[in-house]
Amino acid sequence: MRAFWPIFKRELFAFFVTPLAWVLIIAFLVLQGMHFYVLVDHFAGVDVSTDQTPVQAFFGDTILLYLILFLLVPAMTMRLFSEERRSGTIETLMTAPVSAFAVVLAKYLSAVVTYVAMWAPTLLYLLILQRTGAIDWKAAAASYLGVLLVGGGYLSIGLLMSSLTKSQFLALVGTALVILSLFIVGIGEFIAPPDTTLYEICRYVSVWAQMSDFANGLVDTRHLVLDATLIVVPLFVTTRVVDAWRWG
Amino acid sequence: MVEVEVEVEVEAEVEVEVEVGATECVQDAHKKSIVAAGPKTSRIEARSTTQHASRANSAVVISVHHLVKRYGTHLAVDDVSFEVEKGEVVGFLGPNGAGKSTTLRILSGFLGPSTGVVKIAGHDIERDSFEARKSIGYMPEAVPLYPEMRVGEYLAFRAELKNVPRAKRRSFVDDAMEKAAVTDVATTLIGKLSKGYKQRVGLADALVAQPPILILDEPTAGLDPNQIREVRSVIRNLGEDHTVLLSTHILSEVEASCTKVILIAKGKLLAQGKTDDIRAMRRGAGVEITVRGDRELATNTLTEKADATSVSNITASDAAEGVSTLLVSWEKQAESATSIENAIAALVGAGLFVREVKGVGNTLEEVFASLTAEKEKTETETKPDAGTETKTRTRTKKKKEGKT
Repeated sequence: MRAFWPIFKRELFAFFVTPLAWVLIIAFLVLQGMHFYVLVDHFAGVDVSTDQTPVQAFFGDTILLYLILFLLVPAMTMRLFSEERRSGTIETLMTAPVSAFAVVLAKYLSAVVTYVAMWAPTLLYLLILQRTGAIDWKAAAASYLGVLLVGGGYLSIGLLMSSLTKSQFLALVGTALVILSLFIVGIGEFIAPPDTTLYEICRYVSVWAQMSDFANGLVDTRHLVLDATLIVVPLFVTTRVVDAWRWG
Repeated sequence: MVEVEVEVEVEAEVEVEVEVGATECVQDAHKKSIVAAGPKTSRIEARSTTQHASRANSAVVISVHHLVKRYGTHLAVDDVSFEVEKGEVVGFLGPNGAGKSTTLRILSGFLGPSTGVVKIAGHDIERDSFEARKSIGYMPEAVPLYPEMRVGEYLAFRAELKNVPRAKRRSFVDDAMEKAAVTDVATTLIGKLSKGYKQRVGLADALVAQPPILILDEPTAGLDPNQIREVRSVIRNLGEDHTVLLSTHILSEVEASCTKVILIAKGKLLAQGKTDDIRAMRRGAGVEITVRGDRELATNTLTEKADATSVSNITASDAAEGVSTLLVSWEKQAESATSIENAIAALVGAGLFVREVKGVGNTLEEVFASLTAEKEKTETETKPDAGTETKTRTRTKKKKEGKT
């Protein structure tokens, strides 16, 4: 695991010296800024007696969050392995005394750190809101935890996709497809008749339901288990894939 | 008591030989000599060779035994065995697509062997991959580098990755940059470097952790003659501190920088030996001798007094009056060195003036062709046995069928 640190540093370096990270962060902040503006505008016009807060509306009961993740996560993860395999640098990387797991974890956590860096400026919105009214900081913390966990799962899936192909484009499309599929299965929550097994499954997988719960300050263990699964399983499979390249 | 000891030792010796497997002819001769000699001499021989073998084993840093690599149905490396001893600079020579890169990738731990055992500095590359990789500096054929990094940054990253302690990192990086002659581009982005510089950065990367073994895949590919000369001199100097295994498809490259050669073609090991032996194979085609004087006299002198098997006139049309160039060759290649000496002496003795003697080297392709031909010859010689074996098999099969 000693190889973790240098690879992690290099990945972050590679992310931020190329325009990709900056383009993604700017796109993300512009979209979130518009989102926030619309929300504030909306809440400025409604009766104060509404039981929803801007924080809840920002994270829960909205499609905008997933749309943004759907667009940005595949672009963040596509290069992680595909680029190294296409350019051949994977050969120098894997012939150094490194373990497959250290490589996978370093690449994954560098993406997670970039993702966190993307979200960090949105904390300013909370500070702005605080000037006009009270903020439920616990709900806000739960919301950010949800954002981190959902994003963490998507990034893990993206990393796996990137390890499966030398083409960055295919990795992007593959990741987007899986994320979209998860979202669509989640929408089944609104279609399946309540109190059926199908409904239960859809609701369990639904990112929508999960983020709404988190936005209300509900940290449900079932969601945590799902997210942990979506993070750990792809990471494990990726490690196996990296090991398997030796036999390709 | 003594008798028993002798037997055991001889057996052990034979086993070692079978394992090495590559220099078959030499082994056969060796075995025969052991068999032919009486028990007393065989004991001495066996003793000395076992001692030699054990001494050799301690110095062996790369050992490859019956290495096979399959890609689906394609056989990229077919039962290759060889050893590299400490301090050697070994050329891994073969035409394109011979399986050189695949073999080196297996040695570096990037690919896994289908079957066979590879040991690097005593560590199995599969079971003890971590330790094996620690003792290797590997430079892949395409010299892949991160274009967005500066040379110094990249080498520092590689040094950290290869477990160079923090305190020594700086000096190791500086040392590698100096050895590979890239110090002047330390702060340049790798993406902006010329091909020659990139190649040397790759070399610096291989050197940076100061590993005992260097594996370089076509280190001079794609360079211009000046750069090739520079890289070769770097490699020659590396031979002092490291064991080097480098692959190439250029024969002169091996002659320029290696002490030992391993020839490989179509995934099979053709031969291995000292560079001089390979050079002798090259000498086969003969020499061009330019003389001033009677051409007929020269031809006769060469065939009669110097035992030349063929003398042909290849005088250039624009040659000066009375000057002619003759292509001379002898039947026995190995004797050509003394034959040349005799030829010159004979020509001078006959009152002719020798202006120029030029060796006509075989190309790599010709060396390969002759080696492959030899190999096929030995294979067809052993074939009759195989033929009878299959015949008996089909016969027994038929018998069985008849019974049912």
